[in-house]
Amino acid sequence: MKSRSLGVLGVVAALLVLSAPTLAHHGVAGYDMAKTVTVHGTVTKFDWSNPHVVVYVDAKSDSGEIQHWTIEFASPVHMVRAGWSKSSMKAGDDIVIDTHPSRNGAPIGITSTITFILKTVVNGQPLPTRSE
Amino acid sequence: MRTRAVVLIAAIVAALGFSRSLPAQSGQGSPGTKTPQASAAMPDLSGIWDPDFHGPEGIRLSSWDPSDPFAQHPEKTPMTPWAAEKFKSVRPPFGALQTLENTNDPVQRFCDPPGIPRIYMYPWEITFVQTPKIVYILYEYTKVWRAVAMDRDHPKDPDNSWMGDAIGRYEGDTFVVDTVGFNDKTWLDQTGHPHSDALHVIERFRRKDHDHLELSVTIDDPKAYTKNLTSAKVYKLTNAPMGETLCAYSEMKAFQDNVIDKTQTPGGK
Repeated sequence: MKSRSLGVLGVVAALLVLSAPTLAHHGVAGYDMAKTVTVHGTVTKFDWSNPHVVVYVDAKSDSGEIQHWTIEFASPVHMVRAGWSKSSMKAGDDIVIDTHPSRNGAPIGITSTITFILKTVVNGQPLPTRSE
Repeated sequence: MRTRAVVLIAAIVAALGFSRSLPAQSGQGSPGTKTPQASAAMPDLSGIWDPDFHGPEGIRLSSWDPSDPFAQHPEKTPMTPWAAEKFKSVRPPFGALQTLENTNDPVQRFCDPPGIPRIYMYPWEITFVQTPKIVYILYEYTKVWRAVAMDRDHPKDPDNSWMGDAIGRYEGDTFVVDTVGFNDKTWLDQTGHPHSDALHVIERFRRKDHDHLELSVTIDDPKAYTKNLTSAKVYKLTNAPMGETLCAYSEMKAFQDNVIDKTQTPGGK
């Protein structure tokens, strides 16, 4: 997959209200919900399926190496109700996406649950977001 | 003398008929039929109901304990020693005790049916199909349904099942569902409170106004809890059609392997 990855733009401090004790299938214990990072890269796969929509992104780290990000969203029906669709993005698209990263430092994040959708811009076009 | 005998027999028949119309509270009610209530007595529950996680009343319950709805202190729920011991082994993915490392949530781990009443803690829609003898409740999550019998009592010794044996009645504007005959394989809630096969659940659905449906759930399980637990939540009328939210094990396993488990190991390796 050709990558136009421009890299991880940076870590944005974000104070989010931790008031989501119940999500669709699981809690958020694996993620640092007080931190938001912005990932800029290329979509390699958009997996529109249950239990959660997942996008795979190739992005270049600050040190120049390619990072393979895995970012989860809510379930397909909930993303549809928020205005998304299976065509919201596809492999090869440029993506700038905010996400709460995994606590263990792995390039894994959560950008949406039933209660919120963080900023996601595909080929310059913002997708619907949702505040907590 | 003969007249008194007839009156006595009539009284006995009436008493038997009355007893059949009462909900079985312990699963030991007499089997038999009842006359369904007239359609005019049916509160209209039609429409698709969304749990309204975004609205002010969209309470995201993680426990049925009314003193701890978000499961911040799930160990304080009034459990019997049997249930408290069982609760020690749970590794729930929700609430204050949440962990994603080796969770043993039967829904997340195995796509087990969430059962009743846990299914109401998921953020998916429900709808009703009301007929005189049976009211069907359809659940978007995992596309399961229940048939609530309006014309009979519980069997004397119901089989144990995931969804139980449900009978219903209307009390004014409220649809009351009385369910027994569960297995003990499901969790009561998102934080892993256990229940026994003596679980008895009472659901009360009432349309607060045209656009809002209140659900009150009472947990009656004396083997597991020292007192009944009752909590309520609100659903909102929606135009969003019910979609497909199946728990396919292959999909769940792939998600667990590719995403969840990698948040639990150093560096995601």
